[in-house]
This record gives sequence, structure tokens and C-alpha cells, in this order.
Amino acid sequence: MSEAQVFDPESRVDPPLHGDEVATLRAFLDYHRDTLRWKCSGLTQEQLAVQHPPSDMTLGGIMKHIALVESYWFEVTFAGGVYLPPFDPVPWAEDDYDYEFRTAKDDTPQQLFDLFDEAVRRADAVVDGALAEGGLESESARVGRRTGSTFSLRWILVHMIEEYCRHNGHADLIRESIDGQKGE
Amino acid sequence: MTQTFDPGTRTEAPVRADELTALRGFLDYHRDTFRWKCAGLTQDQLARALSPSTMTLGGMMKHLALVEVGWFCNAMLDEPYPPPFDDVDWDADPDWEWHTAQHDDPVELRALYDDCVRQADAAIDRSLAQGGLDAPSVRKDRQDGGPYALRWVMLHMIEEYARHNGHADLIRESIDGETGE
Repeated sequence: MSEAQVFDPESRVDPPLHGDEVATLRAFLDYHRDTLRWKCSGLTQEQLAVQHPPSDMTLGGIMKHIALVESYWFEVTFAGGVYLPPFDPVPWAEDDYDYEFRTAKDDTPQQLFDLFDEAVRRADAVVDGALAEGGLESESARVGRRTGSTFSLRWILVHMIEEYCRHNGHADLIRESIDGQKGE
Repeated sequence: MTQTFDPGTRTEAPVRADELTALRGFLDYHRDTFRWKCAGLTQDQLARALSPSTMTLGGMMKHLALVEVGWFCNAMLDEPYPPPFDDVDWDADPDWEWHTAQHDDPVELRALYDDCVRQADAAIDRSLAQGGLDAPSVRKDRQDGGPYALRWVMLHMIEEYARHNGHADLIRESIDGETGE
């Protein structure tokens, strides 16, 4: 048996209404990280693996996917490093695009939350270092697969905010279908 | 008649740009993503919900039209809401836009949405002329008592769209199986 993880949505911090660019971007990102924690809070391993047909997405899958995405953008693409475990060495086949979504059902809520928290910690460390050196105009160490060009830290931060919000939208409907819980 | 939108015309936000160009790029990308999610559907399809949620794509389009002028025209500049939002009894139904969209023709609904986006963009230009992304809103936040910076409103609109596009992903998939970012 696996214990559900708990996150209190009251502990979320609203982004500042008139902050500077860095403070505003980081606060929006943190707010949506916490929103995903809340959407996955209080659910068993089985509930985190529930689908809302016809979509095959699950809350556990989204959490594992976002952990991978945090690592992909900040540690791998921006900093030029490697994925956090268990994504290094890469465990998926080249044509297996759903590895993290598919395998999340085998993870306990504790394992998923721990992985997520660790990915966020590592991502924040990369952002801290980049801001100390060059600010939001800093360019990524690696280039995009499609564009062949580097990304500014600014682009990566805004992209991560939209990535979270899109998935939190999925999470809204999946969560409501599991136990009726709603809310922004 | 259905709404049309070619997702191939979406433009990705520039990967190395100044703050304003990046924010407008992401906002426009999500506006177009939303247009695409609603494209090619009949009035009945736009009124369909993915139970137990009661949200519909048509309701979402009317809601986002309202939110565009609500933030950029009304909150930032204290300009009045355009029709049909200026004449609504919101006390009678706080979710009027969600509930009434089922009666709107898809093409007329899209025209309302596009018009609200145009008015919002013109309002953004006026706010920028007054103070760039630090420009303060005329209307104040009810809890905080202070103004919103245009920067906050731009990012809030990006989160608003991206969240609703997440809803739209699942609703659209349930209507006709179409998926995609």
C-alpha cells in the first residue's frame, strides 16, 4: 500500500502584482508547480493512474512527465548537463515517446512527489546560477532539435509556465472525474 | 457554418527576444491554439461537455472574449465593456457567458472573439505607451488594493489561455478524437 501525498493549496503564494520580470516569472512558475502538487494531493497510487477517456493521460503520468520536462529544459538544454535519475542513462527507446506517462503507474505517490520535488530543486539551482551570471538573456548550452538555435532563459521560463498551465488544465478535468474536486 | 483556423499559421514565440516580444508572442500563440481547438465544429459540438465537467468549447470562447476585454480594456484602462457584455445582468448569472454560448452561431461567436482580441491588442498598445510593461492598471486589485502591472496581466493571460487550452485538449478529443499541442 502506498500513502497518498498531501499538499495544502492555501500554502500557494500568489505572484506579485507589480514585481520585476525575474520575480514575476519565477513566482508564476512556482505557483503552477504548487497547483500541480495540489491537483495530485490526497490520491492513492491507483487514483493517480486513473484515465479520463478518451484521453489516456493520468495525474501520475503528468507529474512524472513534468519532472522530466523540468530536467530537460533546465539541466539538459540550458545547462548542457544530463537528466536526473531515473532518466539518466535514458531508459526509453528512441521511438518510445510516452515512457514517463506509461511507467508512472508503477510508482508510489511518494516516489512521484519525491521525483518531482527533486527535479524542481535541480531546475531552480540552474536558474539561480544563470541569473547570477547573465540574467534572462542568457542562452542555452544546447540548441533546439527543430530550430537549431539556442533558447534564452526568458523563453524557457515562460515556456515552462505555459507547459504547467496546459497540463494543469488537463489535471483539472482528470481530478474532477476522480473525486469531484475542482478549483483554480 | 463552422469556424476555420489552419494550425499551420500559428507562429511560435521567438526563442531569443526582449520581454515584450516574448510575452506577446506566447499570448498570440495560445490565442491561435485556442482558435484551432474550436475550428471545424458545429454549434452542437461547441456546446458539448466532457462530464462531469460542464465546460464547453463555445462557452470557453465567449469566456475568453470577455476576459480579454476585462483585463486589457477594463482593468488596465477603465474602459467600458463592449457589447454584448455591457448589458448583462451579472448578478442574475455570474456565468452568463458560459451558459449563453450554446445559442450563438459558431461564426458569430468567433467574430465576437476576434473583435475582443483586436480591442485587447489596441488597449495593450495604449498601456505600453503609458509605461511599458510596468504600466499600472487604473482599476485596483480588490484584495491587495494596489494596481496590476501590465507585465502581470500579460502573464496572467498566458496562464489563463494555457490552462483553458488544456481543458480544450480533452474536450476536443472527446468530441471528434482530434489531439495535438
